[in-house]
Amino acid sequence: MNNLLIHIIRLIVFVLAQGLIFGQLEFGVGIHPMIYPLFILLLPFDISPILLIVMAFITGISVDFFMNTFGLHASAAVLVAYIRPELFRLFAPRDGYDVLKEPTASEYGYKWFLSVAGIAITIHHAWFFLLEHFSWSDWLIILRKTVLSVIVTMFILLIIQILFFKKPKTI
Amino acid sequence: MRNLIAFFRRFRVFLIFVLLQLIALTSYFSVVSYPRTKFFNSANNVTGTLLSWEREVTKYLFLDRENRKLQAENAELSKKELINYIPVDPKTTIINDTIRELTIEKIPATVINSSYSHKNNYFTINAGRLKGVERKMGVVSSEGVVGIVYDVSEHYAIVQSILTSTINISAYVGESNAYGLIKYIENDPRRVTLTGVSNDIKIKKHSKVFATGKGGYFPHGSLIGKVEKLNPIEGEPRWDIIVRLEQDMRRLHYVYVIKNFLKPELEELEKNVDQLE
Repeated sequence: MNNLLIHIIRLIVFVLAQGLIFGQLEFGVGIHPMIYPLFILLLPFDISPILLIVMAFITGISVDFFMNTFGLHASAAVLVAYIRPELFRLFAPRDGYDVLKEPTASEYGYKWFLSVAGIAITIHHAWFFLLEHFSWSDWLIILRKTVLSVIVTMFILLIIQILFFKKPKTI
Repeated sequence: MRNLIAFFRRFRVFLIFVLLQLIALTSYFSVVSYPRTKFFNSANNVTGTLLSWEREVTKYLFLDRENRKLQAENAELSKKELINYIPVDPKTTIINDTIRELTIEKIPATVINSSYSHKNNYFTINAGRLKGVERKMGVVSSEGVVGIVYDVSEHYAIVQSILTSTINISAYVGESNAYGLIKYIENDPRRVTLTGVSNDIKIKKHSKVFATGKGGYFPHGSLIGKVEKLNPIEGEPRWDIIVRLEQDMRRLHYVYVIKNFLKPELEELEKNVDQLE
């Protein structure tokens, strides 16, 4: 149950960070970092897929409440949760995942984190901006927004991983 | 029956996924296409309060610039004060106060949450139903038109910014009086497009663009921006007029909601004519 509490606190922190800090920063040129997908990636390995999707939906609508996007973030977050099990299977280490460990960079290496988070964030951002514009004639803007935002988001996620998810000292 | 249950068990993750996607996307697209949905936005108390706290912290960052603007506005107003005028010639001066009627009231508000980089942008202000804000009221800043109220709660309101593809504010070009609709096409937070102006009308660059009083949103002649570029549309006898907004939407902090006392009368009158609405 202690675990559950940690994830609820994390949910609140990620939503507040997105709504009050990263969502309010306006970089211009289409950069729009979205960090909350990291929360979905950080949920435990043995969570049931349905609970995972529902948690993602809750995260998404909470962000929607802040950003006045009326469900756009919820849609993108649910997509990330849906592809997460497949994505983790794709990049599984040779001897599988240890369900007691957390899916962080310090546990499974930065190469693993960069590939998993990179793909998840790219799909999330591309889906988000595609739905936001919803017209093929804007493809250049969608592409520019996606590429620039993914780069900035990944940079922020790396900093979060380095600062807050250090490897626990083993005795 | 057993097959059906087996089907649901097998695809339950996918079905939940589709269900939640449908909820989210219905909400999003019903807002974008026609204003109806009322959930998933920041006009509720929890997010509204949190965003107000954030503003309390950050508001000091731009106080200086806003003060200067306020000072300029005050100076402009004091020019109009009666005490500063002297009658030039008592025989020709007309005192016309009694034949004028107040038609609008401005409700001051502060922007607590805004965006300008999306295709459709909305912002939240800290005035709601208790201060007399209602849906479909116009919102202006000291420099120009900025949007129309989209949704209201007790203490907050969501404003559909002029940077929204469905905003369709009716506007005219000052010198030539050509009418058209303001749309947000360019994806550039400083520029909007005035569409529907026939290309046999001569339009000068840098002439001012004003809102018409249509729908009672804004007083007739509220400034929107200046004509920056004229593009002929291929195959259509129309201009595509790029208008540079007077108000930089990236620096919007203080706004006024316009309460039009005559709006019910206007709506009552126009109700029976289909072409007007």
